[in-house]
Amino acid sequence: MYEITSEQVPSVAFDTIRRVESSGDILKDYGSYLLDESKLSHQGAECLFFPTTEAELSAIFREMAKRGVKVTLSAARTGIVGGAVPYGGAIVSLERFDKVLELRYDRSTREWLVRLECGVTVRDLNTWAMKKNFPGLYENGSPETKRFLQEYREDHATYFYPPDPTEMGAALGGTVSTNASGARTYRYGPTRNWVRWMRVMLASGEVLEIPRGKYFATPAGEFTVIDSNGSETTIKVPTYSMPKTKNAAGIFSAPNMDLIDLFIGSEGIFGAVTQAEVALGRWANPISIVLFLPSDDKAIEFVQLLRSEKGLHPEFIEFYSASALDFLRIKQKEDPKTVGMPIIPDYAEAAIFFDIGFDPEARDNDYSMLEALALECGSTLARSWAGYEQRDLERFKEFRHLLPETTNAIIAERKKRIPELHKLGTDFAVPDEALEEIWAFYKSKLEGAGLEWVAYGHIGNNHIHINIMPRTIEEMHLGLSIYREFAKKAVSLNGTISAEHGVGKIKKEFLSIMFSDKDLEEMKAVKRALDPGLMINPGTLLDIVRKNEDTRLRKTGS
Amino acid sequence: MKILVCVKQVPEITDVTINPETGTLMREGVASILNPFCEYAMEVALGLKRQQSGIELVAISMGPPQAGSALMRCLEMGADRATLLSDARFAGSDTWATALTLAEAIKRIEGDFDLIIVGKQAIDGDTAQVGPEIAEILGLPGIMYAVGVELAPDRKRARVKREVESGYEIVEMRLPGLVSISKGPMIRSVSSFQEILDARKKELRALSASDLELEQDKLGLHGSPTQVVEIFPPLVKDRGELIDGSDAEAATEKAIAFLREKSFI
Repeated sequence: MYEITSEQVPSVAFDTIRRVESSGDILKDYGSYLLDESKLSHQGAECLFFPTTEAELSAIFREMAKRGVKVTLSAARTGIVGGAVPYGGAIVSLERFDKVLELRYDRSTREWLVRLECGVTVRDLNTWAMKKNFPGLYENGSPETKRFLQEYREDHATYFYPPDPTEMGAALGGTVSTNASGARTYRYGPTRNWVRWMRVMLASGEVLEIPRGKYFATPAGEFTVIDSNGSETTIKVPTYSMPKTKNAAGIFSAPNMDLIDLFIGSEGIFGAVTQAEVALGRWANPISIVLFLPSDDKAIEFVQLLRSEKGLHPEFIEFYSASALDFLRIKQKEDPKTVGMPIIPDYAEAAIFFDIGFDPEARDNDYSMLEALALECGSTLARSWAGYEQRDLERFKEFRHLLPETTNAIIAERKKRIPELHKLGTDFAVPDEALEEIWAFYKSKLEGAGLEWVAYGHIGNNHIHINIMPRTIEEMHLGLSIYREFAKKAVSLNGTISAEHGVGKIKKEFLSIMFSDKDLEEMKAVKRALDPGLMINPGTLLDIVRKNEDTRLRKTGS
Repeated sequence: MKILVCVKQVPEITDVTINPETGTLMREGVASILNPFCEYAMEVALGLKRQQSGIELVAISMGPPQAGSALMRCLEMGADRATLLSDARFAGSDTWATALTLAEAIKRIEGDFDLIIVGKQAIDGDTAQVGPEIAEILGLPGIMYAVGVELAPDRKRARVKREVESGYEIVEMRLPGLVSISKGPMIRSVSSFQEILDARKKELRALSASDLELEQDKLGLHGSPTQVVEIFPPLVKDRGELIDGSDAEAATEKAIAFLREKSFI
């Protein structure tokens, strides 16, 4: 089926919705709503809304459309490319869409499914799923939901929500809209792989209900959206092909694609995801291991071997380069408690952090294959840190998270002196076979430039974050030119300019390295079809103006 | 030389809540860990083992079968072997019955020990009684609240630095003796994957009341002179009211009205 009908939601009086309607008050008392983790400079906002239901959200959309006011969607504001930062207009914070709606078991796919409102955080979802306690679900759920909840509690296995965007305070709707991923994408894929159903509110104030597996593009690559008045809009799926790597850049496109995938990862520019149903994965007891290696190159060799060894099934594979370990050593000297780990051994010149299955009760664990891989790369299992208790898994994760936190803190400190400075953090990924080549390219360029930099990240997906930390404006300009070279190199190796951060308002420039003008026009055509007034999330992902404005601009230009 | 470390498995306390209706601890989904003070005791014992050769380190615990995982942690840290005293007849033991069971077991199976090291208290009960009671039952000199232990070259005496209210005290005792530890490293140690794998090849034996030939009436609930009558969470105090001080006069009036209302002035 390629035709979908949008439905009206119950109406509610616009005036009853909680809001702040003064740009001065927003700036003074709600300043945090003007920022997200990108710390991108905002352009203020005229009003800030806190809807709690689809009816309220619909009333806001219809009223803003009438007034010609643009709307920036917001919730947890954990994004790092400025998606939630307003460029004027209204902010609609969906943080109060925080209820869990339904739990059920799909016997055909043998998976547990949770239906939630978009403002629930990934952390809460995981805590509820693992402790088997969803607040309010038993009290408010249907008799069927109550039966499923009982069954879920009696199930001896533990379940969790596998997409792990590192920042667990992220709102589910945000992670769906950005197709968020993180370390565990190596094993479980990005958010897209776990979304089974969604409701998305279009700029018209009407809602599309999209289950996965129901609406597919025609062979000509089209969908038809019919609104409640019966008028039809044709959506033409972009014709480009997506990179074969982990990717968060651009609108998803594939032959015969599922409509739900058009909205996942679209950075909210087509509408607001108000509810989503996601699948849970079975939690297997892992052990976290940090294996210390004699060099960056040996670490990369170990990654290639670990990936090719089919019996170990790592959940994720993360990289600490020599520069990252040195960086942490300095931090450890200054403040050992924050680092929270024993002294990093002197012999460690790089490290690979990974989780594999481990049964603490078993006496006959055989990890001889892993031992052989370590030996081949100049290490041993004795040259490692390992832990399997929940508190240790968290501790190891925090140790990894310390790297971006520390680099951000260093730049924040430098910014006090030179406000224009910002960190240059890459988010490029390449196919498996190009890992060595891109790493050698990164290293030769960075070492030649004499910049301060640190490298770490999701090496399992060939997705190393290079963080250039400029000390001066000159260094920042130099870093930017190197950054562009990296982007071009990644694309030339069939990679992506953004594997997980998305494009937002910060990386639009790089989108044109990866996509041609024709590709970008195809994306814009989808936006114009679904949001003709270009009302939602202005400035995010695409630089786009209305057709008539476009003509007017061209006329002025000529 | 043989050093014994007595340890306890405890719930990871930050997660535990009390069921207000039944007054019992709600342990669902709460992880069980090696008591942090017992981990400090292990660290001290390992420090001695690293400094001097020929020291055998044995970890002992009393608890349900799952307490074996706390002993496994000791083996990962570097204990040579471990013993779990586990029997339904031990259930309901207070500190005295626990100390008695441990002391009797030590006498029967590890009687040739030189030093017993324990954590000063467990973070669930917080009694700090089991260590001193073991020393008493075994007729040993005991030094509590230690922060460091050194062995004399002849290993016949130990020099112990202990916390007192005004600072520290250095005390020497003859061995065999018992020391309780009150402080540990700021950062918990981490084992290597090799140590974790090796630990699973070490001896971890379980002994019951019958194995130890202990008298039934001295065990568990029967042998416990004390019993917990009630557990309740401390009363939560209200957060109080914050008066906005931007208008000093209005704020003062508000504060005075409040004090009058409560009959303070």
